[in-house]
Amino acid sequence: MLETKDLSYWYTNKDDYLFKDLDLTFDAGISYAIVGESGTGKTTLISLLAGLDKPRAGKILFRGEDIQASGLSNFRRHHVSIVFQAYNLFTYMSALENLMTALSITHSSHNGDRQYAMQMLSKLGLTEEQMKQNVQRLSGGQQRRVAIARAMVCDAPLVVADEPTGNLDEANSDEVMALFNQLAHDQGKCVIIVTHDAAGAAKCDAVLRLKHRELTWQKQPPVPAMVD
Amino acid sequence: MNFVKRAWLNLWARKGRSALLILVTAAIMLFVLAGLLLRSAANTAVANAKSSVGATLTLSANREAAFKKMREQMEDQSQDSDSDSKTTPTRPSLTMTPVKLSDAEKIAKLSGIESYNVSVSTSANASGFDAIETSTGTSIMQGGGGFGGKGGFEDNSGDITISGVSSTAGATAFSDGTNTITKGRGLTSDDIGTINVVVETELAKQNDLAVGDTIKLKSLKTDDAAAKSYTVTIVGIYKAKSSSTAQMGPGASDPANTIFTSYSFANTLKGSDAKNTADSVIFTVSTPSKVDSVQKAAKKLINTSKFSIDSNDASYQMVKASMSSVTSFADKIVWLVAIAGTIILALIVILMIRERRFEIGVLLALGERRGKIIAQFFCELLVVLLVAIGLSSAGGQFVGDKLGEQVVASAQTSTTSNSQGGFTRGGGQAPSGEQGQGAPSGQMPGNMGGRTSSQAAMQKQAKLSTRITLKDVGLLTVFGLAIILIAITAGAAGILRLQPKKVLIGS
Ligand SMILES: Nc1ncnc2c1ncn2[C@@H]1O[C@H](COP(=O)(O)OP(=O)(O)O)[C@@H](O)[C@H]1O
Ligand SMILES: [Mg+2]
Repeated sequence: MLETKDLSYWYTNKDDYLFKDLDLTFDAGISYAIVGESGTGKTTLISLLAGLDKPRAGKILFRGEDIQASGLSNFRRHHVSIVFQAYNLFTYMSALENLMTALSITHSSHNGDRQYAMQMLSKLGLTEEQMKQNVQRLSGGQQRRVAIARAMVCDAPLVVADEPTGNLDEANSDEVMALFNQLAHDQGKCVIIVTHDAAGAAKCDAVLRLKHRELTWQKQPPVPAMVD
Repeated sequence: MNFVKRAWLNLWARKGRSALLILVTAAIMLFVLAGLLLRSAANTAVANAKSSVGATLTLSANREAAFKKMREQMEDQSQDSDSDSKTTPTRPSLTMTPVKLSDAEKIAKLSGIESYNVSVSTSANASGFDAIETSTGTSIMQGGGGFGGKGGFEDNSGDITISGVSSTAGATAFSDGTNTITKGRGLTSDDIGTINVVVETELAKQNDLAVGDTIKLKSLKTDDAAAKSYTVTIVGIYKAKSSSTAQMGPGASDPANTIFTSYSFANTLKGSDAKNTADSVIFTVSTPSKVDSVQKAAKKLINTSKFSIDSNDASYQMVKASMSSVTSFADKIVWLVAIAGTIILALIVILMIRERRFEIGVLLALGERRGKIIAQFFCELLVVLLVAIGLSSAGGQFVGDKLGEQVVASAQTSTTSNSQGGFTRGGGQAPSGEQGQGAPSGQMPGNMGGRTSSQAAMQKQAKLSTRITLKDVGLLTVFGLAIILIAITAGAAGILRLQPKKVLIGS
């Protein structure tokens, strides 16, 4: 579903690259974990995959087409759901309104469907009262779940997350990772998660390790269950 | 959940911040509105002045043309003297043709002319009664005024000023309130051709005259006519405003010595040449806006090389001049506040956008178009603006009234002190004995009167028109929209440059 071709990135100096000539393939229905030491370029890589930044060299293909061709903003709107560690939610809205906003912006097939959004939130354990109060009044774990719910309600076939379990206790982390796996296995999405939680990463179908500018498969992806 | 709804949610969720923003915007709008109100008040005052005082046309001798003719005569003579130096050049004379009453009647028939008033001034000598002697105070001024005292006037000027009119009610001296009939009656068109007169109360008191009495007036002797004596009947007594005596310039005769007669009698006193003529004729135009077209039509009826027909807009010009300072002040307020307000709001918007970078970053990450994010901010400010305009319109009435009073009052003080300053200079020179240095002439009291009355009108009008109209609110909205548009444009750069990656990932 998503392929990188000779992907290279550096910040200030070409010789000081973070990665070079990467050729990777991410498929639908599979959850991927990217692990590695801090500062190795995990966030940078996932930003590129999410269409938040442009590669220095090489390109990223989505369903065979360069994601820059029709605009990164367009790519994000229609094809990616991004879950970041923080600042993920509109703080002046309720959980429900957050979901409704995302449905609207992404032109989702469920745009305007409050019932659908509420179902998703209650599936993630929020009471109706909690859905309708300001998100800032929810706990950290609940807010994280709202962010994931937002990725789940959208039609985007690609979900990327950067440290989605950061600051969460083990029980909550396990739950979040289980949700991401559900997204991949039940909804057939391609899920890519950056994490430094080894136990969490182990639950994913495939694990990539970024080390010394080298990206290696720590756990090979299975044969794609679904091909789009 | 489109951007309009997001804007609304945001304003509603952050009520405190929204309220502050509304207050700041309302304050800016209030000042803009005050400026706009002041401006329209000044404009209304000028427009009212135009319709109330600009509605007359004056037919009189064309002074400009007469002077030009005189200059041409002088030039001709200097050329003649080159060729034949022995001829003694005759002094060029300034001949001003008196207005013919037949011309006036023709003009009066034009549609748009409501009425007309003929005025003929001349002078005569009192016979068998005494003119008012100038008071001690005035004689000092006269002495210093450089007019050579009474002696200088004796040959060509009598001690009584004769003001011939069509009717006293139509004469400016009565219609502007300077003179009022206190006993008997004023002169009307029925008095044309009679010897009925109206005298001033001081003159009547001094000579023990009452309505019904007769007095004798002697015409001035001229080169071809001897002085003639006429017996006239007093039909009314008028009182001149005492203030105009106090404001008298040096050299002018006491206003109490003015006797009003029909213009026909004034012409009789002037001499046989003056029959059916007038110094000037004032036409009242029924619709002030038609003054220009009526003036054009009238010009076609007269010999413009000898006569001129002018619209009398001196009072209008006066109001306009004093209001133009108010207008320009108001303009400055409007623009200064608009510019300051734009800067303030632009800074607020820029700060607001910085403060909300993360929200914008999330929107961008979701794939929202930057234009729609800018539109969301615009909607938020638009709601703020509309509430602020409502608030400032409510408060603007009060501020506009106060500011209007203040500015009109200060405009008055400045014009009054200007004119008084000018007057004091003229009078102040008298004791030093300096002669003829631009001392104010007899026209002074009339001007002063005109200015005072137009100021009163101006104040009344300015006060009346600081009402907020729908047009004011509309104009205010236009200003407000322009201000928030510019502010948003300034802030939009922040949105357009924002990289969602930097915002979301931080450092
Ligand atoms: N905006 C930037 N400009 C320059 N260097 C950066 C920038 N962002 C990150 N880096 C550097 O790039 C490297 C990789 O960063 P990052 O992708 O955040 O790593 P990780 O997410 O694996 O911790 C780090 O050494 C970091 O200092
Ligand atoms: Mg990182």
